[in-house]
Amino acid sequence: MTSPERLRGAAAPKSHNARTIAALTTNPGCSRRAVMDAAGIDKERLAAYVGFPARFGQSQFAITRGNVFEAQLKADGCAELLRLLREVLGLPIPQVSYDDLESVDQLDARADRSRELLTRAAGGESGTLFDHPLLRLEVGGRWVYLEPDLIALQFGGTFYVVEIKSFAVIDGQADGTKVSAAATQAAVYVLALRRLLAEAGHDPGLVSHEVVLVCPENFSNRPVATLVDVRKKLSVLERQLARMARIDPILESLSPDLTFDLRPDSSGVPQRPVAELVDGLGQIDARYSPECLANCELAFFCRHEARGTTASLGKSVREELGGVPSVDLALSLASGAVAPADDQEEAAAMLRFAAQLRSECLS
Amino acid sequence: MPTPVDVLERRIDELRVAVRQAVLAGDRAQATALRAELRRAEREWDDALDEFADQTPVPPLLPIRDQVHNALTLLGVPAAPKLLIAVHEAFFAGEIVGARLTSLRRDEERSFRAAPRQRPYYLCSALTADLLAPARGLLAVSTWPLDRRIVGPLSARVDFLTAAIRIAEQAERHPGAERLLRRFAVNIPGATDSSFADVKPEVVVRAARAELAVHEGADRSHREAAAERARTQLDDAAQLFGSRELQRT
Ligand code: SF4
Repeated sequence: MTSPERLRGAAAPKSHNARTIAALTTNPGCSRRAVMDAAGIDKERLAAYVGFPARFGQSQFAITRGNVFEAQLKADGCAELLRLLREVLGLPIPQVSYDDLESVDQLDARADRSRELLTRAAGGESGTLFDHPLLRLEVGGRWVYLEPDLIALQFGGTFYVVEIKSFAVIDGQADGTKVSAAATQAAVYVLALRRLLAEAGHDPGLVSHEVVLVCPENFSNRPVATLVDVRKKLSVLERQLARMARIDPILESLSPDLTFDLRPDSSGVPQRPVAELVDGLGQIDARYSPECLANCELAFFCRHEARGTTASLGKSVREELGGVPSVDLALSLASGAVAPADDQEEAAAMLRFAAQLRSECLS
Repeated sequence: MPTPVDVLERRIDELRVAVRQAVLAGDRAQATALRAELRRAEREWDDALDEFADQTPVPPLLPIRDQVHNALTLLGVPAAPKLLIAVHEAFFAGEIVGARLTSLRRDEERSFRAAPRQRPYYLCSALTADLLAPARGLLAVSTWPLDRRIVGPLSARVDFLTAAIRIAEQAERHPGAERLLRRFAVNIPGATDSSFADVKPEVVVRAARAELAVHEGADRSHREAAAERARTQLDDAAQLFGSRELQRT
C-alpha cells in the first residue's frame, strides 16, 4: 500500500479544473489515470519527460482571446454582463452585487469564503454575482479543488452557473462539440455547487440545471447569452463519478516504494532515470482507447504501450473482439492458422468471414 | 489643454480682426504695427507647426501622475487603468502610456512610505469593504474621502453609473467623448433609444440617475461602515494603499 503523497513526491499537487474532471469521466475504468489524478501528479510533465509529450490543450492564441473577451464582459462593474443577464434572465435592476472571491490569496481561505458567501446567499441573504468561487468535488474517493473560471449568479433564490467562452455563435448557431464540451464543464460546476449547498443543509435543487453560456456573436466582440440545459450531462457525470473506481483498493495493490517524483535538481531539471518512471507507469493498469488522445496527457505513452492490442483500435473493435486481446491473434484466427478457444468462437467466425470478403474484394 | 499652435491660431485671428478695424478706422500707424505683429505670429505659427510634426508621437504634455489624476478627478470614482486611458483620450490632450500605469501605484506607495504627505496628492488604491485590502486594478486619489475609495459589493455598479453621469455632463463640450459615452450608455437601461443610434447626454444622465437611486443607499451604508473600520484599524499608509493581512470581521 502506498499513498497519493508518496506517489507524487515533492512536487506540488496539480489542481483540477472542470475540463480535467469532464475528461476524467470519459475513461472511468482506467486505474492509471485515476491514481495519477487522485495523487495530483502533473501528467503533462511526466509524459513529456518520459518522451511522449501530449499534443493537445488550448493554443496560446485561444487562451488570450478568451481572457480578453472575459475581461471585456467584466469591465466597468460587469456592465456588459449585467445587461445580458437582464435581457436573457430578466435579472431585476436592484440585483447588481458583485463579490470577487479571488481577492483572497490562500486556497483554504478562498474555499471557506466561497462557502460562506454562497450559503449566505442561499439562506436568502443578499449577493448576486460571485466571481471565481472555489469549489470542491469528490473524485475517486478524494476531494479535489476546482479552480473554476466561472461566475455563480443568484437571484430569486435560484443559482445559475455563468460560463464565458470565446468561441463564436454565428447566426444563432455554435459549433456543437464546443457547446457540448462547455456544457459538460458547466455541469461539473453545477454538481459541485449543488454539493456545497447540500453540505450546508440547503436544497441542492436551488442550483438550476440551466446554465448561462456567454459567447461572442458573429465574429464581433458583441456578446450573446443563451441558456443551455445540462440535465443530461449531469446525470452522465453523476453516474460516472459514482462508478469511478475508488482508488484505495488500487493503492493497496501498489508497491510501497513506487513514486513518480521526478527529483528535480536545484534548477528544476528532473534527474530521475526515465526507465524507472516507465517501469512505474507499467505497474498501474491502463485502459487505452483512442478517445484518450483528446482527453488524457498520457495518451501517447499509453498508445505506444498498447500497440498491437485490439483494444487500442477503439471501443467498437474491443466490443466485437471480446476475448481476442491482440491484433496478432486476431490475424491468426482470421487466416485459420490458430484454432479458436471456446470463448473466441464467435469472434473467430466473424474474423474468418471478414478475411474472406477482403480476399474476394482484392482478387 | 491648448497646444502652442492653438494659442497662436487664436492670436492670429485676433490680430487679423484688429488690423481690419485699424484700417477701417483710418489709424495707419496702428495698422502698420499690428501688421508687423501679425507677420511675426504667422512665422511663429509656421515654426511651431514644424516642431509639432517633428515630435510625433506627441509626447504627453504632463507627467503620467498628473494625467491619471486629471482622468480620476473627472470621473470622481475609483477606476481601472483601461478606463482611465479611455477617459484621458476622450477629454485631454496627449496619451497615457498604458505600460507606465502598471508601476504607478507601487511608486506612489514607495514615495509615501519614504516621506509621508510630501505631495499634494497621491494616486492610491481603492479598498475592498470586507478585508480593507487593495481592490485589484482600481486607482483612486488620496484626497478623496475614505468612503469614496471603498468598494463594497454594490460599488462597482454605483461607480459605473456615477462615472457615466460625470462623462455625460462633460460630453457636451467634448465631441471626442461621444464614443466613450456610448459605451456606457448601451449598458444602462433607458439610456439609449432602441436603435442605439443617438446618444443624448441628458438622457444618459437621467437614466443613470434613475438606476443609481436604486443602489445608492445600501452602497453608501456599506462604504461608510467600512471606512469607519479602516479609520480605527489601519495606519496612514494602509488607509491609502490597503491592508495586506486577512482581516475578517
Ligand atoms: S491515456 Fe492512459 S492513463 Fe490516460 S486515460 Fe488513457 S489509458 Fe488511462
